[in-house]
Amino acid sequence: MPASGKTYRRIRNLVLAWLTLVALGGFLLDIPRINILEHTARNLYFHVPMWFTMMAAFFVSAWRSGQYLSTRDALRDTQALEAARVGAAFGVLGLATGIVWARFTWYVGQDIWWNFDPKQTMAAVQLLIYGAYFTLRSSVEEPEKRARVAAAYNLFAAACVPFLLYVLPRQMESLHPGAEGNPAFSDITHPTMRVVFYAAVLGFIGLFWVFYRQRVRLALLKKRIDDASGP
Amino acid sequence: MKRPFATWFAGTWAVFGKDLRIELRDRHAAGALLLFVPASILLIFFAAGQEPLSPRIQAGLLWIVILFAASIGLGRSFASETDRDTALFLRLHTRASMVYAGKFLFNFFLVLAVDVVAVLAMVALLRMQVAHAGLLSAAILLGSLGLAGAATLLAALIAQAASRGPLLPVLLFPLLAPLLMSAVEATRHALEGGFGWGAGAESLTTLAAFAGVVITAAALLFDFIWND
Repeated sequence: MPASGKTYRRIRNLVLAWLTLVALGGFLLDIPRINILEHTARNLYFHVPMWFTMMAAFFVSAWRSGQYLSTRDALRDTQALEAARVGAAFGVLGLATGIVWARFTWYVGQDIWWNFDPKQTMAAVQLLIYGAYFTLRSSVEEPEKRARVAAAYNLFAAACVPFLLYVLPRQMESLHPGAEGNPAFSDITHPTMRVVFYAAVLGFIGLFWVFYRQRVRLALLKKRIDDASGP
Repeated sequence: MKRPFATWFAGTWAVFGKDLRIELRDRHAAGALLLFVPASILLIFFAAGQEPLSPRIQAGLLWIVILFAASIGLGRSFASETDRDTALFLRLHTRASMVYAGKFLFNFFLVLAVDVVAVLAMVALLRMQVAHAGLLSAAILLGSLGLAGAATLLAALIAQAASRGPLLPVLLFPLLAPLLMSAVEATRHALEGGFGWGAGAESLTTLAAFAGVVITAAALLFDFIWND
């Protein structure tokens, strides 16, 4: 059974306080001024953790799908679905923060919003995969069959995704750190920025957990009401 | 059972043979596919006109045609069992892994037929020049393995859905994005030639790894979809 309401509220308060500190530190602490980047470098605290969070969410989703296939417990299916939904929302935010930032730094003067940078494109494809997952769910009527089919697709997608995110982007040219010809993240980042960044990653993963638990509880409550009011 | 592998192979072969025989009787998939491919390449020809296309574009178009043809033709491989009410019969007589392997083999051969027609049509109609036939064959073989492996599992998935319609392309295309990119890269090198096998080695390795991962995952997950 999921964590009790008390534990949930405690962790939620902790996460909110933590994220407040991250936001304060992210906007107020001094950072080195790099030409063109200037203060937009602070986007590092918000853009990159979105991807970490999305990956964590999709890992949770795949894990719950695997549990569903081995136990056939409807709760696992609900958990997989809600984790994927929250993960997709973080993915959209990651894409949005990246697009707006790149428009005014990498592509300044070129006036382009989308340049098929490998990581950007792969992230978009990843979102399409989860769109396909939601579409598949809506096209199967029986709940038991829908849960089984969706779990199988989710796990199958999880097997293909490493190619998308780790193999191909490393074979192509990219402006992202760590790609061909670019220094890795840890070589170019100031120590203060790294501390705030890691704190932000933890904070946003915590935020994912809060949303995810909330949505699972909501889904369970809805189901209970339906069961009680049904025939 | 004394020889488990021989039994398994016989079962797989029987499923493959059954599909092949049904296909030879009504020529449903083959007829549609073999017309779809030249028709779409003719449309490309009308759209592009007399402009010579670069190898990169030709490689991309070739794989787009193959992917679309596969997503149209392979969707029926399990839906036909459900429609004819033969799924239960298959389930009683063969193990899930045999069904997957047999259907996969059949789909692989269908995709290979599509590949041959598509390449011939590209060469004849769009004046595609192949500099390194070996590299092109390797790219097409490995790419088709991954394509057939993924499409077979997804066809079994959508056979369970009430509204099948355009579901297979929606599920298949995003998953095959890595395959498409590596296959197009290898095919481009095969069309340009010049550097021999070395140029396409990286893409071919990625394609082989992708096919291996997809087929393994599909074979493992198929049990859960097939036996309910």
